[in-house]
Amino acid sequence: MKRFLTMAVASAMIAGMAAAEPSGTFRQAHELGFGAQSSLDPISKGRVFQITEKIMNRLVRPGLDGKPQADLATSWEANEDATVWTFKLRDGVKFHDGSTFEAADVVYSLNRVLDPDSDSPARSAVKMITGVEALDNMTVQITLNTPFADMPLQLMDYRLRMLNEGSGDTIATTGNGTGPFKVETFDAEGTTVLVANPDYWEGAPGVARMEVIGIADGQARLQALLGGQIDMERGITAQQQVMLTGSDRFNVQVIPTGNWRGLVFRTDVEPFSDVRVRKAVRMAADRDELVKLVLGGQGVVACDAPVEPNDQYRADMSCPQDIEGAKALLAEAGYSDGIDIDVHVSTLEPTWPTLAVAYQEQAAAAGIRVNVVQAPTDGYWSEVWMKKDVAATRWNERPADQALHEIYLSTAKWNESYFKDEAFDAMLADARRELDFEKRNAIYQAAQQHLWENGGTLIPYTVTKLVGVSSRVHNLDQVKNDAVRWHKITVD
Amino acid sequence: MLRMLLRRLFLGAVTVAIVSVIIFSGVELLPGDSCTAFLEREAKGKLLENCREAQGLNRPAVERYVDWAASAVQGDLGVSANGQKSISELVGNRLKNSLLLAACSLALGVPLAIFLGVVTGLWRDRPIDLTLSTLAIFAMTIPEFVSATVLILLFSVWLGWLPGIVLTPAHAPASQFFPEILLPVLVLTMVMTAHILRMVRSSVIEVMAGDYVQMATLKGVPYWRIVFRHALPNALLPAINVVALTIAWLLGGVVVIEVVFNYPGLGRMMIDSISDRDLPVVQAIALIVATVYVGVNLSADLLTMIANPRLRTMHMRRK
Repeated sequence: MKRFLTMAVASAMIAGMAAAEPSGTFRQAHELGFGAQSSLDPISKGRVFQITEKIMNRLVRPGLDGKPQADLATSWEANEDATVWTFKLRDGVKFHDGSTFEAADVVYSLNRVLDPDSDSPARSAVKMITGVEALDNMTVQITLNTPFADMPLQLMDYRLRMLNEGSGDTIATTGNGTGPFKVETFDAEGTTVLVANPDYWEGAPGVARMEVIGIADGQARLQALLGGQIDMERGITAQQQVMLTGSDRFNVQVIPTGNWRGLVFRTDVEPFSDVRVRKAVRMAADRDELVKLVLGGQGVVACDAPVEPNDQYRADMSCPQDIEGAKALLAEAGYSDGIDIDVHVSTLEPTWPTLAVAYQEQAAAAGIRVNVVQAPTDGYWSEVWMKKDVAATRWNERPADQALHEIYLSTAKWNESYFKDEAFDAMLADARRELDFEKRNAIYQAAQQHLWENGGTLIPYTVTKLVGVSSRVHNLDQVKNDAVRWHKITVD
Repeated sequence: MLRMLLRRLFLGAVTVAIVSVIIFSGVELLPGDSCTAFLEREAKGKLLENCREAQGLNRPAVERYVDWAASAVQGDLGVSANGQKSISELVGNRLKNSLLLAACSLALGVPLAIFLGVVTGLWRDRPIDLTLSTLAIFAMTIPEFVSATVLILLFSVWLGWLPGIVLTPAHAPASQFFPEILLPVLVLTMVMTAHILRMVRSSVIEVMAGDYVQMATLKGVPYWRIVFRHALPNALLPAINVVALTIAWLLGGVVVIEVVFNYPGLGRMMIDSISDRDLPVVQAIALIVATVYVGVNLSADLLTMIANPRLRTMHMRRK
């Protein structure tokens, strides 16, 4: 009995310690998308975000509801016309190397993104910023070239992490940030080891160690999860889900995202330069059916607006297949015998060929004769996308304003459909200037409606992400990657 | 003999040089370069310029090849695309891992294959031969990725005895690859054993039907003495060449296995670097694999010649 008591006390002590002290190892894979050019620099193209998201913080982060939440900035306010924003910074935050987080670091980090010479891919998210200034040690003022009511949304971008002043040249390998985990060894092609940062400002993390392992092959990653070599795999397919749901060793999180796949019809070439034709080709799609056929049901129907289902500005639209309407529009445009189009896809995105073939069947009824052209994976982005008249595309989610600006504005860098529409451009400018939420919301919704009427991009759905998690993992927020609070996770 | 050796060595060097030219032009012909492969849809404007500048891609292709060849001859294989690690070191680690995988598979596979080959050859058309030969045909014809996946499912997911894929980093010492390496070794052994077994079997059958074996039998030499003393030494000679080809295959051609098991060997590195358009790395690996092929084939021919007096004299008589 005595012995039993001792054991009970001992195990209670161990359990108590486990709650307080970080313990155990959490392992996940990354897809090694950038090979030898992988980097810990959050704004480099080769950033391994599965690592940067755990070692660095932003000024503002998405809360569990997707709305802006305080991260390294504790509060923010705008001037009357939303052209000047002031951010109060969090006190007492330290970088992993011991230096203190201050306004100068924010100025440095943002200017680094904005530097036209480095031309970071993250720059387009914040290019409305004309000046960043430290008012005092803990206050930063950001000046914009345009009124922008939703500035904090832009700062939530997963790449806009705060670095220590002057660390730009070494950050690619050191990963010195303020986050809950510190880099012990960085080896993109092998195993990157992160250890708990006991001084993390939100409290010490639940796990002592994280391993982020480079596994290029999707099948191999699933094998690793099934065999218990990794604890989480984000982005498994609906088919693979079947293998996990039957077992009590795994849980599957179902997370709707704003990631989308679609077909781009260039609005600057015949016949899609006629707005009736490009509406007809989109009306011919049966989106419910596409979600079932292409995604195994794991998606949310979209009406050609690049806005995620949970976004506060998502327009509630309905766009059922309308074969008669499509035929009528085509006839009106002078194509009563239908049209022939070449749709270019590649296996770069595994679902594209399925999407194209399913669309081919659906559109045939409206007299749209689709010829699916398989282009090589290599050079797809440079030789096919934005070059061919019709090509498949894919985008990762971004806030409504950013998606509309980056992909559809006349002057957008990635205006893949060559969409030039003054009325639409004006709407976006008005929305940014509008400080009243309800009015702003109305404008953004009208802009999406405008795309449905006039756009050249078929967006049949946004993709729902499936996350396979080992049952030894607890407290993993069931939200998008971007919003997960990694320090909360514990493992058995 | 020495003249022949020198001639073969010279031809080998020429082969390797030609291979490197073909590989270089092949990768050069693919659409895009290492910068467009890396930047994907952001490959335009300043970002693309910066990247090409940093990697010296704005120079003409011929100039880049000559530069590369000149330093490669001196043993300097350059630096990887991110300019941070020396390729000799990167490829060296991968070569070590491929050698480890090859050595383990050979150590397990070759003795097993020869033993089974002799058994099936001597007991031709008996149940044991029929069983083993059928199994061998299965092992040969089932694609490696299928047998690999089945083995992972069996040993790693259901039984939980062995780790399913390799997570050990490329630069780890050989000892750390156990037990992760066992499943890939098993798959490779299956395929390899089947090939060598069939070769040995047919060669044993042929030799056992030979005139001198019949003669020995008629003279009353005991069966096992005929087998070990007269038949096997002749029957195993062709196996040397098959084993040589297998070694070369193991070092450069087991890409599928390396990808399925995430094994950090040369084959997977080759695929990765081709999709990254990391030309210096592709070149370095092509060079190594070509050298291995030429070297192993040459040594196999020499070995055969040493072991088989008839080839030696034939060669000399012709001269």
